[in-house]
Amino acid sequence: MAFPAKYPQMNATELTDEARSVLIRVIRVAFPHPSFPDGPYERTADTILREAENSTWFRVALTQGLLTLSNLAGGDFRDLNDEDGTKVLRRIETTEFFGFIRRTTVLNLYDNEDVWEILGYEGPSFDKGGYINRGFNDLDWLPEARIESYDGPEQLVEIATPVSVARVRGGENASAVARDTSNQPGKRDAIMSEMTK
Amino acid sequence: MTNIEHDEAAIVIIGSGAGGGTLAYELTAKGLPVVVLEAGPYLRNEDYVNDEWEAFNQMAWLDPRTTSGSWRIARDFPNLPTWIVKAVGGTTTHWSGATPRFKAHEFAARSTYGRIDGANLLDWPITLAELAPYYDKAEVAMGSTHVHGRKPLPANNNYKVFANGAKRLGYKFYSTGPYATNAEEYDGRPASVQDGFNFQGDKNKSKWSTLVREIPRAEATGLLDLRPESHAVQITHDASGRADAVLYLDKDGNLQRQAAGLVAVAANSIETPRLLLQSASPMFPEGLANSSGQVGRNYMRHTTGSVYARFNDPVRMHRGETMAGVIADESKHDPDRGFAGGYYLETISLGPAFLASFGDPGAWGRGFTEILEAYANTAGLWVVGEDLPQESNRVTLNTTVSDKNGLPVPNVNFDDHVNDIAMRDHGYAQAELLYETVGSVGAQRTPPYPSTHNMGTSRMSARPEDGVVDSWGRAHDVPNLFTSDGSVFTTSAAANPTLTIVALAIRQAEYIADQLKTGGI
Repeated sequence: MAFPAKYPQMNATELTDEARSVLIRVIRVAFPHPSFPDGPYERTADTILREAENSTWFRVALTQGLLTLSNLAGGDFRDLNDEDGTKVLRRIETTEFFGFIRRTTVLNLYDNEDVWEILGYEGPSFDKGGYINRGFNDLDWLPEARIESYDGPEQLVEIATPVSVARVRGGENASAVARDTSNQPGKRDAIMSEMTK
Repeated sequence: MTNIEHDEAAIVIIGSGAGGGTLAYELTAKGLPVVVLEAGPYLRNEDYVNDEWEAFNQMAWLDPRTTSGSWRIARDFPNLPTWIVKAVGGTTTHWSGATPRFKAHEFAARSTYGRIDGANLLDWPITLAELAPYYDKAEVAMGSTHVHGRKPLPANNNYKVFANGAKRLGYKFYSTGPYATNAEEYDGRPASVQDGFNFQGDKNKSKWSTLVREIPRAEATGLLDLRPESHAVQITHDASGRADAVLYLDKDGNLQRQAAGLVAVAANSIETPRLLLQSASPMFPEGLANSSGQVGRNYMRHTTGSVYARFNDPVRMHRGETMAGVIADESKHDPDRGFAGGYYLETISLGPAFLASFGDPGAWGRGFTEILEAYANTAGLWVVGEDLPQESNRVTLNTTVSDKNGLPVPNVNFDDHVNDIAMRDHGYAQAELLYETVGSVGAQRTPPYPSTHNMGTSRMSARPEDGVVDSWGRAHDVPNLFTSDGSVFTTSAAANPTLTIVALAIRQAEYIADQLKTGGI
């Protein structure tokens, strides 16, 4: 693998098969899903490699990052277990190298049918008639729930008492307090100052 | 469709969403011809795709914007402050559908809440009583469930978890609406098939939008000249300070001029102030209709946040109407909770692709993948409440960054108010308690998404020095200029804004028609 060259025209840095397999391992350590086969991770790695071809900045950051990850790992990153691999990635999580991998993975790993099925998401539904006859209400571990508006004896108290200022402009207390404006606030009973938790 | 000459001084509406689309229909129904300039393409229901990212790239407003301030969006999605639609029908084509009304005291936030440090609170120049008849009209137009005889939607799986939790927590005011999607055939449109795609556009036409109702009806009058892919650049004025034309870029990038006798801006709360600021002139050096200095200020986005809770058993929240679940118990004003104003809890769901991107932006590792691993067993809800207007939360022109047309992009600066933070934390905690009562084994607090509710940047005020437009949405400074979208909101209230935008637009249309008849404009 060549280092990024000094001149842009020479920056067609080649990412080798070995670099690709390190990248796949990085993605799996950063986004661990025991239920995912290799396919989604390989697909995501290839997307990252493709996008790197279109951006000199990402390409050099990615190339350099994959080349030097082994230095931080004290050997081949692929030989680290999940826990140690995660520690290495935590150290570099603020780098452009890792940020590029993370952003691209988040956008792409989960945007494909190959993981939806595993996660229990069913994808497009309109062409199948929606879920009206396919389980939109099949949850059975809770009782049925009321769908109508509440019609019991209680009213929603819109302004909790006690609030001594005007409930509503023109309301019963409005005349008790001098009206003021946003520019010239008058004396009010309920002045709220900055709250701290 | 009619063809209005470019040199005819027309009624020109900029935007075709909840405000602009409604105004266009109401005016054409009264016999008034209008030109509608819509920046986006004319997508039809059959064009929509059941795929989160593909739909996003098809529908969303993706023109570059910049952000600043301490909100998390500026770090996580610095060029995507909002999640709104650029297409005919505007953001009504991807909204979820909840239609609660504002409460009486929410039109009088300043009087009710008192003075709050850092907030630029002001009472609306209208009351609930004045707007109530228009709320009725809007609910009938939109087919809101639970009111005017419209049936409630059935409970989907996400709602069952939500409503059982609400009941066990002691909440009373929960139901599957009000929600502007048909539970049964209504207004010529079919019942929902519960396909679970709302933010991606509703292929079934069960959900109200101006695309399925107001735009086609306005077209049917023969009085609508709808021009998609027409991006307004500037509103010009004559020597007397009256708006006289709108300059816009057509789909080929050519600058066009449409003469105007009346201009109504309904471009959503980022583009509306952007256009007014881009219309600055020697007579209006701070921007058109900006003698108050309030254009672009008091930007509000609602105090929001989501909680995604995990259970031992399947939920499959992606099946069914996304937001057909509303709890109103916390929508009250109760300062004992440590903040002014209230909030709603509403069901929400995302697919894995969006949950990965928005669930915990920037996260990775085991904690992140646990959220996705639990997908099938996850229930979700959204906290949506009043946020306080602040003068420094503001849309300005960023003259150092240009869009593809060479125009300065809008910059959105935003900081949460301490009141917003206290409300959000309360909402997160209540949501977690709610889910615990029905057996959740873990929960993720998701920060606000790029803003879907955008308000306040051209606010109504009784006095010209406090805001941009009067109680009819008419600019204090320019007699034939109106604002017709959520940017007129003086304060945000807790409720989802669309119903109120539509009600205000219906009311504004009556006023405009009346004023045109009597020579008042």
